Amino acid sequence: MLAKLRRWPISVRMLVSALVLVLLVLPLAGTLLAWNFREAVNASFNDRLDSLLNVLIAGIEYQPGSEPPLHNPQLGDPRFDRVYSGWYWQIQLGDDRVLTSRSLWDQRLSEARATNRRSREVTGPRGQTLRVLEQRVQLGSFSDPINVAVAADLSEVREEVSRFQALLTVSLATLGGLLLVMFGLQIRWGLAPLRRIERSLREVESGQRSALDTDLPEELAGMARTMNLVLERDQVLIERGRATAGNLAHALKTPLAVLHTQVETLPEAQRSSFQKELHRLNDAVRHHLARASTAGPPAFGPGLEVVDALAPVIQGLTMLAKRRGIRFEYRMGCLSPTRFEQQDLQELVGNLLENALNWAKQSATLDVVQGPDSLTIEVNDDGPGMSDEDCQRALERGGRLDEARSGSGLGLSIVKDLVQLYGGQLSLGRSDLGGLKVIAQFPTRAP
Amino acid sequence: MKILLVEDDTALAEGLCASLKDAGVLVELAGDGRTADFLVSTERYDAVVLDLGLPDGNGAQWLSGWRERDIDLPVLILTARERWSDKAAGFSAGADDYVTKPFETAEVLFRLRALVRRAHGHAHPVISVGDLTLDTHAGQVSRSGMPVSLTAQEFRLVSHLIQATPRVVSRTELSEHVYDGDQEPDSNVIDVQVSRLRRKLGNHTIETLRGQGYRITAGEDSR
Repeated sequence: MLAKLRRWPISVRMLVSALVLVLLVLPLAGTLLAWNFREAVNASFNDRLDSLLNVLIAGIEYQPGSEPPLHNPQLGDPRFDRVYSGWYWQIQLGDDRVLTSRSLWDQRLSEARATNRRSREVTGPRGQTLRVLEQRVQLGSFSDPINVAVAADLSEVREEVSRFQALLTVSLATLGGLLLVMFGLQIRWGLAPLRRIERSLREVESGQRSALDTDLPEELAGMARTMNLVLERDQVLIERGRATAGNLAHALKTPLAVLHTQVETLPEAQRSSFQKELHRLNDAVRHHLARASTAGPPAFGPGLEVVDALAPVIQGLTMLAKRRGIRFEYRMGCLSPTRFEQQDLQELVGNLLENALNWAKQSATLDVVQGPDSLTIEVNDDGPGMSDEDCQRALERGGRLDEARSGSGLGLSIVKDLVQLYGGQLSLGRSDLGGLKVIAQFPTRAP
Repeated sequence: MKILLVEDDTALAEGLCASLKDAGVLVELAGDGRTADFLVSTERYDAVVLDLGLPDGNGAQWLSGWRERDIDLPVLILTARERWSDKAAGFSAGADDYVTKPFETAEVLFRLRALVRRAHGHAHPVISVGDLTLDTHAGQVSRSGMPVSLTAQEFRLVSHLIQATPRVVSRTELSEHVYDGDQEPDSNVIDVQVSRLRRKLGNHTIETLRGQGYRITAGEDSR
């Protein structure tokens, strides 16, 4: 799971973190806002009740001798006159004398008879939840304290709060949606250079371009430039390796050739041991120089057109076969581009055919066949061929083909290395022509 | 058979030169491309052995220059570079065959003989004219199946005549292909040698056509 998380695309990561942010912050902000608003609305409701109670108390006219005290308080709110409107007041003198707002009609508010002003919640005449603020006041002439109360419907507050909450929810949800869209756009725009570099890499990989596009933001341009340097260096290294191998071959082989010609003039007895050592030396040089010149399957670049790549080799070998009086036929079907390095393929086919032409009596053939998921190169000759045992031994791991087939047979050893490097399979057998049949088969899916 | 050996490494050139001479091949040496270029346009050779790594440019470049000038003599390439990209360059420059260094003299000789034989239009290594047989591989002339013992120069002369059959070979051509450049013979020497050959091969084998040259008539001789 952790490993999977690590492979999440950057855009998904950013979107997920944005989503988490929006989902955490917006509800939190909403809750805080709603709570504050409810507090504020509650406070202003209480203030209003408070001031209404003050007005009510101040409106109690104190006329000594008149019982009960005249009262028709003008609270300035018509709801106190509308029956069961939810807004009520009540003044109680003693136990049985009660003055109420018209809205209360025949109902009465229960009393708490507290000295201090206090509020509580009761159920009103119509089942409404009322907030009652009441106070006991002592007017001079009255023996009994007067209980004054104001009540208002709490549902008004609740409605206001829930209206606010609904509005808040809608606003925050809209905001959240907008934020996510903005985040999405930001990610798209912000990551666009990354996508460009990825596309550019793919183009390099498929050979549509040779270097990465460096027209990028500063952070990436540096990286792209470095990548280009690496790509370039890769090619330079291969070429330099080949040049060095070539020069070394030249430097080593001319003296070797001199030794060879001089050894030939020695008496028979000494000659063979010198020649054996010279052959060993030459085989080692050839083998290792061939390895040093091998590039291996290219990571980048378009597939190689096999027919085009082989054309110069085939042309040379056709000429060679003609000069040597050997009938050489080659058949190459319709071949799709293959992930082969040009010189490696030339080396492979060149060595196979050279071998065949060196051993053939009259004819040699080359067939290159494209299978559904493999490329098969088959070379046949009508030479002496190899025994099954020799074929077996030659194919064994570490088995040196030149032991099985001396002289220019080392070519097969180079072929074996190449086939292995390209993940192919090499098989040797008896040809229908009478000589050796060599089949090299390569998987054509990208390695 | 007379060949031009183009090789800048003196030790190799001298060694190969000596071995080829032992096998009866006339060899002239050129140490660089410029000299070789001069020689192939002024002298007659049966073949050229050309090293690809020359001090004054790649052998392949000199070769393609010759081919452009219609110098079509057989060219055997000597190369130290075994990569097929190098070999292919040699072939596209117009090489006929190649031998990689290090090599056995026998292989060079084998390839050279095959090239010269084919240049004369013979596909098979054994050429017969009447009762005369030339085995180009073995470097042997036989008469009615019996090997004839010949000196190197005699062999060169008769093998050139046999390979050229039925063409008439002029004295100039013979002197160019059979004798070393620095010991160019007067016509007497050739006449003497031809009559010695007649003794060895049979009186009527070599016909002299006055003012034109020589040709092998072994087939007609038996009639």
